[in-house]
Amino acid sequence: MSTTTDADTSDDSTSTGTETGLAAETAAGPDDGVLVVEHLTKRFGGLTAVDDLSFAVQEQEILGFIGPNGAGKSTTFNCITGTYPPTEGTVYYRGEDVTGESAYDMVKRGMARTFQSFAPLYDRTVVKNVALALTPDKLFSLSGLRGGTRDRAVEICERVGLGDRLDQTPGELPHAGLLRLELGRALATDPELILVDEPFAGLSNQEVGEVSDLLADLRAEGLTLVVVDHNMRGLLDLIDRAIVITFGSMIAEGTPEEIRTDEQVQEAYLGGEL
Amino acid sequence: MSTATDRDGHDDRGRGRGGDLTSLLDPRSLPLRHQFGLVGLVLLAIFPLFVPTTDIPTFIGAIYLMLFAMSWDAVSGYTGQISLGHAFFFTLGGYGSAILNIQHGLNPFLSIPIATAVAALGGLLIGVPALRVRGPYLALITLILIPITRQLFVLFSDSFLFIAPGGLGGNSGFTTPTTPLVGAQPGAVITVGELGGLGRFVVGNLASYYVAFLLFLIVLVVLLAITRSDAGNVFKAISEDESAVAASGLNPAKFKIFAFVLSAAVGGLAGAMAVHSPALNPLPQQLLTIELSLTVIIAAVIGGIGTIVGAAVGAFAFELTEFIFGLSTLQFQLPLVGQSLEDLFPLPLFLIGVLTLFFLPEGIVPGNIELGRDALTWLRQRRGDREAAADGGESWAETEFEPAGRRNLEATSGPGGPSGFERTVERYRKRALEYGHDALDRTRRVIREYRR
Repeated sequence: MSTTTDADTSDDSTSTGTETGLAAETAAGPDDGVLVVEHLTKRFGGLTAVDDLSFAVQEQEILGFIGPNGAGKSTTFNCITGTYPPTEGTVYYRGEDVTGESAYDMVKRGMARTFQSFAPLYDRTVVKNVALALTPDKLFSLSGLRGGTRDRAVEICERVGLGDRLDQTPGELPHAGLLRLELGRALATDPELILVDEPFAGLSNQEVGEVSDLLADLRAEGLTLVVVDHNMRGLLDLIDRAIVITFGSMIAEGTPEEIRTDEQVQEAYLGGEL
Repeated sequence: MSTATDRDGHDDRGRGRGGDLTSLLDPRSLPLRHQFGLVGLVLLAIFPLFVPTTDIPTFIGAIYLMLFAMSWDAVSGYTGQISLGHAFFFTLGGYGSAILNIQHGLNPFLSIPIATAVAALGGLLIGVPALRVRGPYLALITLILIPITRQLFVLFSDSFLFIAPGGLGGNSGFTTPTTPLVGAQPGAVITVGELGGLGRFVVGNLASYYVAFLLFLIVLVVLLAITRSDAGNVFKAISEDESAVAASGLNPAKFKIFAFVLSAAVGGLAGAMAVHSPALNPLPQQLLTIELSLTVIIAAVIGGIGTIVGAAVGAFAFELTEFIFGLSTLQFQLPLVGQSLEDLFPLPLFLIGVLTLFFLPEGIVPGNIELGRDALTWLRQRRGDREAAADGGESWAETEFEPAGRRNLEATSGPGGPSGFERTVERYRKRALEYGHDALDRTRRVIREYRR
C-alpha cells in the first residue's frame, strides 16, 4: 500500500515541479526528512480531526506547527508519537515506517515530546523526574546504584534552567518551570528530535524569550525541533519554517515572512472566511 | 518537604561514597530508621521465645499475614493498581500446594514451588486485563475473583479434571491434613524435637515459626531490593502518571505485569508455605475470603502504603492486637456495649485503619520517619542553640529545667521561626481540627435533614 502511495506522490512532485513549498511537502516520501508524515488522517467517529496531512521535517531545523485552537495540531502530534494510531496514513522516522508504534518505542527511536498540559510526577523532586527518563527500560537494572544517574540528571536540569530547583517538587514550580521540566525529561531520553507542544502558552514575554533561546541553543547542538503553537507571538521569531493547519488540513507552508503575509492564514486567524 | 528530601538524599550519598564496606555494614553507621528496622527484626526473631507456647501458631499466622500484606503492597502500594482480591493469589498457592501434596502425593519441597508458579501465572492473568482496565473497574475485577473461585470450589467439590481428582473441597475445604514442612510429628518433612512428651511440640512450633521467619527475611530482602531499585521508581511513577512514564521511554505495561506477577508469586509462595505450617489450613474460610483481602489492605494502610516495611509492620500490629484482645485476662463484659473485648475484634483495628487514613494518610512507618526526622532536626537545633547560648554564659541546667511551655513559646517566636517538629505537630493538630469541624458540620446537616 505504501509503495503505491509513494509512486503517486512522486508523480505529483514531478508534474507540479518545485513552484511552491506546499506542493513539495505534499509529495514527501519516506526519505525526504527525519520525520515524514504522509497522508495522515485521524477520525474520531464522524469527526475528522486530521485530514490527509503530509509534511516532512528536515534535520536540525525548527519547524513551527501552527494553527488555531482545535485545528488538529495536538491530534497530529498524538498520532505521530504513538498516543493513538492514525486512521489512515503513514509516519516515517529516519526512513522507517513507525506508524502506530507505542509512545515509549518512539522515545527509544530518538523522538521525544513534551506535553502541553504538563505531565510531571508530582510525588518526586525535579531531579528525580529527570532521572526517571535516564532509567533503562529494564525490569532489573543496577544503573541506579552506580550513582551516575543523579549527576547526569543534575546536568540536564542545569541545562534547562532548573539548576536551582533540583530538590523542589513539580508542585512548587512556576508555570515556566514546569515547561522547563518537560524539556528536561525529553532531553534525558537522549533524543534527536523533540516535539514541543504549546511551549509559549501562559508564559510572560520575558519567559518566551528565555525558552526561545533555550530551544535555539538545543538546535545549535544538533537537535531537530517541531514546535506547536496556536499563538504566533514569539514563535515566528524562533522557527525556520512553518506549517499552518486549520480544520485538520494544511493551508500554508513557508518561511515566517511568507506566513505573516499569507492571506489564507490571516483569514483563518481573523475568521475572515465568514 | 523539599528540605527533608534534600537532607535525605544528601545523607545517603555521603554514606554511599565515603564509607568502605565494613563501615557500611556497621549498624551504627546506618540511618536511625534502619537501626529501628534492625531492632524490629531482632525482636521478631527472639519474641516467640517469650510467648506462651500454645500461642506460637498465632504468631506464625502473623508472619504469613505480613507476607500477604507485603505482596499486596508490592503491586497495589507501588503501581497504584488496586487489587481487592489478593486472597485469590494466596489461595492459588495454598490450595495448589495442598492439592499437589494431598491428591498427587508430592513432597512439599516440590508442591510449594509448583504452586508458587501457578500463583505467578494467576498474576499474569490479572496483570494483562490491568493494562486496559483501570481504577475501580480493576478493583472490581479482582474482587469478583473471590466469589467466582469460591463457587468453583463448590461446583467441583468432588473432582476437578486431572488437576484435582479428589475435588476442590467445596465450602468445607480439605479434611486430610497436609504434610507439615517442619514439626514434631513423624510425618513432617523435617522432624524436629527428639525430646518426647509435650516439649517436642513446642520445638515443632518454634521450628515452624523460624521457617516462616526465614521466608519473611528472604521475601523482605527481595522486595526491598526490587522496590528500592529503578523498578520501584518506575512502579511509583506508573501510579502517578502513565503517560509521563511512556514519555520517559519506559514501557508501563511491562512494569505493571511484572509487578502483578511478582506480587502473585510472593503471595502464592506465602500461601503455599502457610498450609504446610500450623498457622493455616486449606480451608476457604481461612484463605479465600474478601475479609482477608481487605485485612491485608488495611494492614498496609496502617503501616504505610508503598513501603513494604509498612505493610509488614501493619500486619504484625493487626495480629498482635487480635492476640491482646483475645487474652483471657482482658475478657470482661465491656460497660455500655455488653460485649467482651474479644468479640469486638476486628472492629477496633478497622477503626484504627480509618483513623490512620484520616490523620496519618501516609501510614505509621513513613509518618513516624518524618516525625522522627523533624524531631532530630529540632534536637540538633536546640543543641546548637544551647552551645551558642553557653558562650553567652547560660548554663546547661538552666535550659534543661526551663518549663516546657516557655521553651515552646520561645522556639516558636525565636528568630528561626517554628521548628520542623513543631510544624508537624501543628499540621496534625490543624488537620484534626478541620476534620472535627467537617464531621460536626456533616452531623448538623444530617440532623437538619431528619428534622425536615
